[in-house]
Amino acid sequence: MFFAPILQFVTKRDLILKRSTFEHVISSMAGRNCLKGFLLTFLMVGMSGLHAQEASPQFADLAARAAAARDQQNIPLAIELYTQAEQLKPDWREGWFYLGLLQYGANQFPAAIDAFNHLLQLEPSAVPAMALRGLCEFETGAYDDSLRDLEQSIAHGAANEPRNEQILRYHLAQLLVRAGRFQDALTQYKIFIEKQVDSPDVLLGLGLAGTRVRLLPKEIPETDRGLYLAAGSAGYAFLSGNSELAASIFTELFARYPTAPNLHLFYGYLLFQHDSELAINQFQSELTIAPGNIEAHAILAYTEMIAGRYAEAVPEAEHVLAAMPDMEMALIALGRSLGETGDPKHGMELLNRVLQSDPDNLEAHMGLAAIYSHAGRREDAYRERMVCLGLAK
Amino acid sequence: MSVWFALAWPSSLRRIVVRFSVAALIWLLCDFAGVLPTLAQSKKSSTSAVTCGTCHVGVATSYSHAPMRHAMESPGANPALETHPNLSVQMGQYFYTVQTKDGKSTYTVSDGRNSLTLPIRWIFGQHSQTWVLEKDGHLYESLVSYFPRDNGLATTPGDQKITPHNLIEAMGRRLQPWETRSCFNCHATDAVAGDQLTLDHLRPGLDCERCHVGAQQHMADAENDNFKTLPKSLKRMDSESISNFCGECHRSWDAVIRNHWHGPAFVRFQPYRLQNSKCFSGNDPRISCLACHNPHQPANRNNASYDSKCLACHSEAKASHARVCTVSKNNCVSCHMPKVELPGGHTSFTDHQIRVVKPGEAYPN
Repeated sequence: MFFAPILQFVTKRDLILKRSTFEHVISSMAGRNCLKGFLLTFLMVGMSGLHAQEASPQFADLAARAAAARDQQNIPLAIELYTQAEQLKPDWREGWFYLGLLQYGANQFPAAIDAFNHLLQLEPSAVPAMALRGLCEFETGAYDDSLRDLEQSIAHGAANEPRNEQILRYHLAQLLVRAGRFQDALTQYKIFIEKQVDSPDVLLGLGLAGTRVRLLPKEIPETDRGLYLAAGSAGYAFLSGNSELAASIFTELFARYPTAPNLHLFYGYLLFQHDSELAINQFQSELTIAPGNIEAHAILAYTEMIAGRYAEAVPEAEHVLAAMPDMEMALIALGRSLGETGDPKHGMELLNRVLQSDPDNLEAHMGLAAIYSHAGRREDAYRERMVCLGLAK
Repeated sequence: MSVWFALAWPSSLRRIVVRFSVAALIWLLCDFAGVLPTLAQSKKSSTSAVTCGTCHVGVATSYSHAPMRHAMESPGANPALETHPNLSVQMGQYFYTVQTKDGKSTYTVSDGRNSLTLPIRWIFGQHSQTWVLEKDGHLYESLVSYFPRDNGLATTPGDQKITPHNLIEAMGRRLQPWETRSCFNCHATDAVAGDQLTLDHLRPGLDCERCHVGAQQHMADAENDNFKTLPKSLKRMDSESISNFCGECHRSWDAVIRNHWHGPAFVRFQPYRLQNSKCFSGNDPRISCLACHNPHQPANRNNASYDSKCLACHSEAKASHARVCTVSKNNCVSCHMPKVELPGGHTSFTDHQIRVVKPGEAYPN
């Protein structure tokens, strides 16, 4: 199975695999041209180190022996020699890089983090080091740090190489769920679905993201795994184009777990992009199970706005904003809906409030365009529409 | 003339005058669209089923020829298929034939070794046609369509990127449930109830009820002389709302933007294109869909007939901000709303993004 090597990597059973995989991590930085640049940088760093080594035969000897031990897979010796070499020359970047890599492979995660910290202080743009530090932090339970590093490294190209992409995105997706950023997590899982990766790990993670459970897969009690795996399977089926299979799995889930939170919300979320009316039905079902689910109220208000059911969206959005005054989704739903139902001034205020914190929010600009248009503010409407066309591209 | 005065008249004449007066009074009370309701007379003088056309004769008659009325055609008496009983085309390794005989049309795809034949049950479109096919309980959009300009078959718009791997994939693109709902809801009447497809009940094309929600109730009540339950008036909507209303099927600006659609393939979504125009203003009735098009009539293909619509703003006589064309006052749309060929060819659409088109300029958006 394609995902198996990743899991091996994740579980750190095989140093060779990890190291070879890490070479992919390096190569992923920003495409192969960048890789050449990065390796060249490393080489130059190494050469500068070697230049220094002419003045320090002891360092040169240690560096050569460390590389030889690494090549011979004598990991404990290599770690020891790289550590000694770094004590002699703490600005030797290549040394920190290999030391961190080897320690990561040996499950010495705190030490690996320390090595990558040194490297990143010397070379803040060393994206592979940042990605590896993120993976180490995940293993030590420093989840917030791990999320920051993985997100940043992926943003800078660490996931451009297919094998690295899956390792990094899988960890990132788990952390996004834990952080309550479900939409972002689902975006990550969609990449696995596009590649037809349907391992249980991905399905479980997708199920957690869809049903908005802020836990890591390893934290899920055994008794609940079936529910989230099935939810993930339904989501996978839907997102891979088999909506009929998805519908049957969801129907079965609704029958088997009639009070499980966020199952209808997940199905509604999947339907939302294709058919807002079907999505609304699911969100309303969710609210019959959990009337106090503010997120469900918010997404219902938003979807009603999208469906042009403005009069219904107003009270829903007001209900949400009474509990969460800054919730963007509800601000947009209420702003547009008020603009369409006779209170354009208040509607514009709310939409402009969204744009203050999120200037490129497409729906807020669309709402303003509609309000200006209804009011006959032709030039303002045209300007907003052109902004939207640019954003939509 | 007083109704009471008319009581002294001969009974037959009196009956006519009384009915006319009552109908006129109802019409005034209803403030209804330009036709005189004559249901009160007709229901007593006729045993045939009451329809919208029973009262609204003029508009119902003209609407019977309108494109929306023929958004879906019955396979039995389809003029395009009747006049082209043997259509065929080779597309890659697959050979398609559409044959019509004795009022029945079939769609066949063959790979040279095996073939698959299905009856054509639903014809989408009056001129260019795409067929929805049913196999094993699933609905498929035919992978080839009929194009009148070519008098032949070619790939269905939007399906150019599909590479079929077997006969079923070559036959058509399997439709997702929401696509099916959307397609039938815009091409037929009573095809969808709630979130369910009700294909057994559908009537091809769009009946009055499809736009004039409440028409059925209005008709039922009118049979009992109750004219208070009127369908929602569409006349009071501003241009922005009309655009969105028409855009429910012809695709609204919001829908196109939300789906991130751009490029010439989407020139066919007129409300979106119109709202991209600099001159579009949501509260100006001179630029609404209805300013130029009467949905109850066939589209007017005479470019010059639209000049007065443009000159309603772009004229020296009008005190407005609109600029006046220095080139011509005739055939405005031929320059300012050019025809755009859909990718893949076979058909073109008028671009409703009204603009000054510069020579060699790329299609905007």
